[in-house]
Amino acid sequence: MAEIEVRGLTKVFGRVTAVRDVSFTAHAGMVTGLLGPNGSGKTTTLRIALGLVRATAGEVLIGGVRYASLDRPRRVVGAMLESTGFHPGRRARDHLRVLAAADEIPDRRVDEVLDLSGLSDSAGRPVRQFSLGMRQRLGLAAAMLGDPQVLVLDEPANGLDPDGAAWLRATVRDLARQGRTVVVASHVLGEVTRTVDHVVILSAGELRFAGPLSEIGQTNDALESAFRKVTT
Amino acid sequence: MIRSEFRKLTTIRAPWLLLAAGPLLVVAGVTGLVESGGNVHDPSTQRTALAHTGLAAIFTLIFGILAVAGEYRHSTITDTYLSSPRRSRVIAAKLSVYGLTSAAAGLVCSGVALATTAAWWAERGGQLHLSAADTWLTLAGGVAANCAFAAIGVGVGALIRNPAAAIATALAWFALIEGIVGQLVGSGLARWLPFYAGEALGRSNLSATARLLPQWGGGLMLLAYAAAFAAAAGFTTLRRDVT
Repeated sequence: MAEIEVRGLTKVFGRVTAVRDVSFTAHAGMVTGLLGPNGSGKTTTLRIALGLVRATAGEVLIGGVRYASLDRPRRVVGAMLESTGFHPGRRARDHLRVLAAADEIPDRRVDEVLDLSGLSDSAGRPVRQFSLGMRQRLGLAAAMLGDPQVLVLDEPANGLDPDGAAWLRATVRDLARQGRTVVVASHVLGEVTRTVDHVVILSAGELRFAGPLSEIGQTNDALESAFRKVTT
Repeated sequence: MIRSEFRKLTTIRAPWLLLAAGPLLVVAGVTGLVESGGNVHDPSTQRTALAHTGLAAIFTLIFGILAVAGEYRHSTITDTYLSSPRRSRVIAAKLSVYGLTSAAAGLVCSGVALATTAAWWAERGGQLHLSAADTWLTLAGGVAANCAFAAIGVGVGALIRNPAAAIATALAWFALIEGIVGQLVGSGLARWLPFYAGEALGRSNLSATARLLPQWGGGLMLLAYAAAFAAAAGFTTLRRDVT
């Protein structure tokens, strides 16, 4: 099973400790919500998990190994990060074809994920013409490209309209139902109660809570007050 | 990895516009040489005309710089490193793809140089020396210079990740700084500097100095610079956090 195990993770940037001794596990077949205010260390944790940032101490294992040791990483872990960019002049389909070639994913999979993300009709347009919501969909298409067992999504609902948000919720639930490990980082609590099974709350780089959503509050109000309590 | 890098190139327009500037420079340069009174009966004029192939390397240098720095500019580097967490492989793939593409661009430039020179020589009644070893050494050196400067560019762009800063630094070095440094260290040492080495390889001898390295020495020196920049990038950029 491809779990994500975060073990004693610490990251220091200069004088700032972004993450301090954080440990938790994201299980297969579940959506784990990584929550916390801005600057709480969510993104840093995910970037370390994906080998983009080096941990000062501790490690993150995906299915028992570090990301950097994965052979065709996109086939194991699909990631969608806020800072992932697109070349403005490149067409959406070409963007995905570039990524597919890097991990030896067949080109027909490109059309499949374009279809899954509702972008088939815009695939021939350069990304500069895309709205923020369409870019988010393209980012999610890229994450699903390798049909990975693990998905890591950082603020995936940003810029999505209500239709897009509903589509995202359904997609995320679906991916978990298929037995995949899904981690969604967000600072929007409202999204969370309808999507996640398991909650991890960070604040100021420290772990404040890790457990099933039912333990902390099933409704928005209950979650919000619990969230305030653990993060202040 | 290699295929992905080729796809990155073929799916955007900018790099091709940049490389297309090479043949234009060659045509303009050869024409300018003849129009400004170059003697078509002098074999050394023919060499100077053909050596414009090597001068097109200024564009492959910029082309190479954009390989890595361009990816930082558009934040596509995140996806690139997600596909290949072993970052040195990314640099290796870019060195081969950009080197190869630039060699091809250099080949086009050499064809254009030959055709333009032949046309002007026919027009002015000069005798083209096609069989001379000098002709082919000049053209081959020009192609090699296009390839080598692209490789240097890849390293420079990986080291200085801001494309504007990287290009400005590279152009300032070739237009100004190397000349000053060259005077400071004297021509015995100056010939080891990259621009002079490039002149030796492309046989352009713009600076009209007699103390260039031999052609093969210039080529080796440029390879050494390319390796040094790539290695320096390996110790800095490739270890840096991508945030």
